Amino acid sequence: MSDVAQITPTAPVAAENEGQSTVTMRILKTAWRSKAFQFGFWIFVILVVTSLILPLVSPVSATKMAIREKFLPPLFMGEGWSWIHPLGTDQLGRDMLMRCMVGLRYSLMIGIITVVLMFIVGCGLGLLAGFKGKWWDTIIMRITDAQLSLPMIILAITILGISKPSVASIIVVLGLSGWPLYARVARSAAVTEREKEYVRGLRVVGAGDWRILLLYAAPNILPPIAFVAVLDIARMMIFESILGFLGLGIQPPTPSFGSIIADARKYLINAWWIATSPGVFLAVALTAINLMGASLEKARNTVYAGAR
Amino acid sequence: MSTPILKVDNLTVAAGDNRIIDGVSFEVGNSEIYGIYGESGAGKTTLGRALANWLPAGVEQTGGKVLFAGHDLRTTGANRVTIGRDIAYIGAKPQSALDPTVPVGPQIVEKLLMVQPGLTRTEAKQRVMDLLHEVRIASPEERFYDYPTKYSGGMMQRAMIVDALCADPAVLIADDIIRPLDVTVAAQIVSILKDLCLKRKMAVIFLASSLLALRLVAGKVGVMHEGRLIEEQPVETLLTAPKTEYTKTAISHVPRIWSSNEFPEDRGRADDKPLMEVREVSRTYKVRKRGTFGQFNHVKAVQGVSFDIMPRENFGIVGESGCGKSTLTRLLTWLEKPDSGDIRLGGTSLANFSGRELLDKRREFQLLLQDPYNSLPPRVTVGRMIEEGLRLRGTPKAEMREKVKEAMVSVGLPTSIYDDLPNALSTGERQRISIARALVLDPKLLILDETLSALDQGEQSKLIDLFAKLQETKDLTYVFISHDLAMVRKVCNRIGAMYFGKMVEIGDNKSIFFEPKHDYTKALLSAAPTLDEKPFDAGELGFEPIQ
Repeated sequence: MSDVAQITPTAPVAAENEGQSTVTMRILKTAWRSKAFQFGFWIFVILVVTSLILPLVSPVSATKMAIREKFLPPLFMGEGWSWIHPLGTDQLGRDMLMRCMVGLRYSLMIGIITVVLMFIVGCGLGLLAGFKGKWWDTIIMRITDAQLSLPMIILAITILGISKPSVASIIVVLGLSGWPLYARVARSAAVTEREKEYVRGLRVVGAGDWRILLLYAAPNILPPIAFVAVLDIARMMIFESILGFLGLGIQPPTPSFGSIIADARKYLINAWWIATSPGVFLAVALTAINLMGASLEKARNTVYAGAR
Repeated sequence: MSTPILKVDNLTVAAGDNRIIDGVSFEVGNSEIYGIYGESGAGKTTLGRALANWLPAGVEQTGGKVLFAGHDLRTTGANRVTIGRDIAYIGAKPQSALDPTVPVGPQIVEKLLMVQPGLTRTEAKQRVMDLLHEVRIASPEERFYDYPTKYSGGMMQRAMIVDALCADPAVLIADDIIRPLDVTVAAQIVSILKDLCLKRKMAVIFLASSLLALRLVAGKVGVMHEGRLIEEQPVETLLTAPKTEYTKTAISHVPRIWSSNEFPEDRGRADDKPLMEVREVSRTYKVRKRGTFGQFNHVKAVQGVSFDIMPRENFGIVGESGCGKSTLTRLLTWLEKPDSGDIRLGGTSLANFSGRELLDKRREFQLLLQDPYNSLPPRVTVGRMIEEGLRLRGTPKAEMREKVKEAMVSVGLPTSIYDDLPNALSTGERQRISIARALVLDPKLLILDETLSALDQGEQSKLIDLFAKLQETKDLTYVFISHDLAMVRKVCNRIGAMYFGKMVEIGDNKSIFFEPKHDYTKALLSAAPTLDEKPFDAGELGFEPIQ
């Protein structure tokens, strides 16, 4: 911590930032030093960038059918491959690479947005329940209990069955089934935080619950949960694929990993690449995210252990 | 003395190039309690852990030997299990030594089964139960299945002794175990330890930062300074005829209760009206009865307490933990309202204020916190923390900064740490931030909830001087809530003693300490460790400490 002590008082802005982020920054720095994190990070970045850019710049379409070009194998994998379709084509002659890219784009988007929403809603309610206690706690925790008792798939079938499945409704379904976990964790952290001596100090000075919670307690509670949330992106991507596989995900013709794999089952013997390519992309993306998440978790443990 | 069970020969322990223990030698025999005195940082804990062959990572034994019953620990006993069985270690923080998710009894049984695989679970349980009984935990059958959070500090410390003793060790290393305890509980633990030491023919190494504690416990005492054992004598000889300058200074710093005739200066004036009037306040908590749905136990934490606090006086409130001090603190700081009774500030009842008015009134009475590590949120800068009270009241930015810097100077903090995080600050500095935070509001009354108890002797007296100075310049009034009788004796004009939620006696410094009237006050005073001759003996009054 010696570097903190050397900050001159002439730079309040820098210090303010430092104040918000020392522990967090140290965790990020520690994580960055591990090979696994860097590896995962760069793969993740490459996947995100290509899935965003490639479908925009490429002349090949993900949805345009060309029956004459159906079942083309990937590069060097049998007869009829071409450079135009590096990963081959599907049963309707659509380019697999483009389909995977678009699928990956939706998968990542749904994963990330869902986790952010779950984090905000779950942690927000959890903090409130833990910090305010009394009937706030009772009501919010009973709602989470009720929510936890509903299996995700049943919830998904109900909601997606009633409404037309769309990106928004998928996010709602996944978010609904995931937030109670965050609420639980945030609540227990808030309960501990509430009993800390500084809270009493702030109360005597005259600060109210909300002020203490938002300005002082939340910055202590949330970062550790945020690191764990990274791992949850992977989980949500898997759920998105499951919904797609069941036909409850993004609807054709827009490709999604789950629906591509579901369709490709029939051709698994003759055209294995149709099911395999999205599977490989999904696996690579999940590996990247898990590498990052696990290193962050490890770094967090090292930093906290070192701080004691 | 019989043959030494533990022999330390020229032990050297270092972290890198930094020698923490530098050539320490001593011997301990069976049934002997060997005390080691040292200030914080003298290397006591490292020594204790070196003896238990349990040094933290990065710290290594670089020279010398620790011989246990003739065997070098490093070459023969590197096995943790053996260490757990023959040499036991108890630390100063019992709360963090027990797993909070497992009930106390089963937890100790688990450990016992690990070090002695031959036992059956029933036998192990019986053994732990017996030990709990032996260390005088009330109704061990019920307490056995309680979680650590339900244990008080003293009980936890006793549970730790059980944990250490269950494997019947030959050597017990007690690292500052009574520092966090109340005097009466500490006295109990000490007598338990002495008892067990004789009964079990155990050798005890008692590391302590207080000479008073050592006087109660140890036969022979070694004085440790900067990693060396600078002298070794029987404790009474050490106290009367120390050989080294260092020990002499240490003895002279031990606070005296009865051997001084000085009393704190009375700054009151004849026409003073009470600053705060506490009238018959009571507070009862409902605690759900175990195993029931709608039934509650009513715990009367504070019962009908009344007293006045006069301007510019130092009012002390003493008592053991559990006596209602903390609840009274919450009432005085208006964090909780009394069930009945009234607290008046400057003649008006605090219950009459709410919202904006209360916020305004709060400026006048402020709290100084106890635990320096938890009293500051870790991610908020020092300046931001101190100015919070002003910010809440909408003070303009420039004025706020000015006032904060002024307060920092007046408590002796460098203004250069305005934008720093509190992480790197010492306990003394942290407490000063807490004081500055109160001072920016221009309070009249400061309530100190054990504020000095976490500080070492030197830092404590510096802060006491600071309080006196602030009292002169800012006309402050202090309420010291504490279990440190020596500090209260030195500082307070008037003192109230609390026992089971009631104020049993209120009097001035002289009458409380020299002519106590209530039996409990006498019991409390007689339990206080001191180098002085006590003017009375109340050892047989039979007051049970609160659990």
